[in-house]
Amino acid sequence: MMEPQKFAVFLFPSVRHAMTAEKILRDEEIAHTLIPIPRHISEDCGVCLRVGIDRQDQVAAILQGAVTWEKIVPL
Amino acid sequence: MPVTVDARGLACPQPVILVKKSIEENEEVTVFVDNDTAVENIRRLAAKAACKFSVTERDAGTWEIALKRTGAAVQLPGGANAREDEMSSIAVSGKETGPLVVILSDNRMGRGDDALGDVLVRSFIHTLLQLKPQPAVIICYNAGVKLAARDSAVLDDLQQMEKAGADILVCGTCVNYFGLGDQVAVGHISNMYDIAETMAGAARLVRP
Repeated sequence: MMEPQKFAVFLFPSVRHAMTAEKILRDEEIAHTLIPIPRHISEDCGVCLRVGIDRQDQVAAILQGAVTWEKIVPL
Repeated sequence: MPVTVDARGLACPQPVILVKKSIEENEEVTVFVDNDTAVENIRRLAAKAACKFSVTERDAGTWEIALKRTGAAVQLPGGANAREDEMSSIAVSGKETGPLVVILSDNRMGRGDDALGDVLVRSFIHTLLQLKPQPAVIICYNAGVKLAARDSAVLDDLQQMEKAGADILVCGTCVNYFGLGDQVAVGHISNMYDIAETMAGAARLVRP
């Protein structure tokens, strides 16, 4: 059995921010999943971007300056 | 003597319609078809109608199927196969029994803005994974079949649900209409009989 992959989620100020960030990751061909914000993180009805935790720094570097995010939470 | 149904050259769902009619009237039916979707549809029909099923590939692209009724013709009010027996065990409490069925009739959720609808449907399907009980059947039709295609953003989630036991029915007519024949990567191609019967037999239908 492989270790289950560990993830981090990027939370954004709005759905539009999340969509902008997703487009950037898609263009950069970085594996990601847009998911509803897990309930234990926030009761907000928003969406967030989930990436492999090993990609977290790379994603932050790519998004830096292009789109703002609120926080990064390990899952 | 078995009755012969030659369904070669016929498009889905014609073969299964002809076979269904024929097996209701005859003990034994031999069927010739020229595509594996028809083979699978007839295999499921056989399971539902309590028929013995065997298939042989004759030449490249021709299958001969032998069907033999093993009991009295079975009425199929939506509870005759093993799958639905499993479903009843996860049915919600209360007097309703039957599966929880999710209908994906579009590749977006809601109307108003396409980009937002795309985000919402992905979010919805991802959330389904955490739902208890899990949907027993997911039906994709019209543009909903695009969600089952190889390049779909929700393919992983749908595959996980399939692995966990969900039966994913993908409308064959719709796949054909959108030219996605070789791109369906989850579930199985289904016909309107299965779709209508499953919907009619559901305890609850959920539609995003």
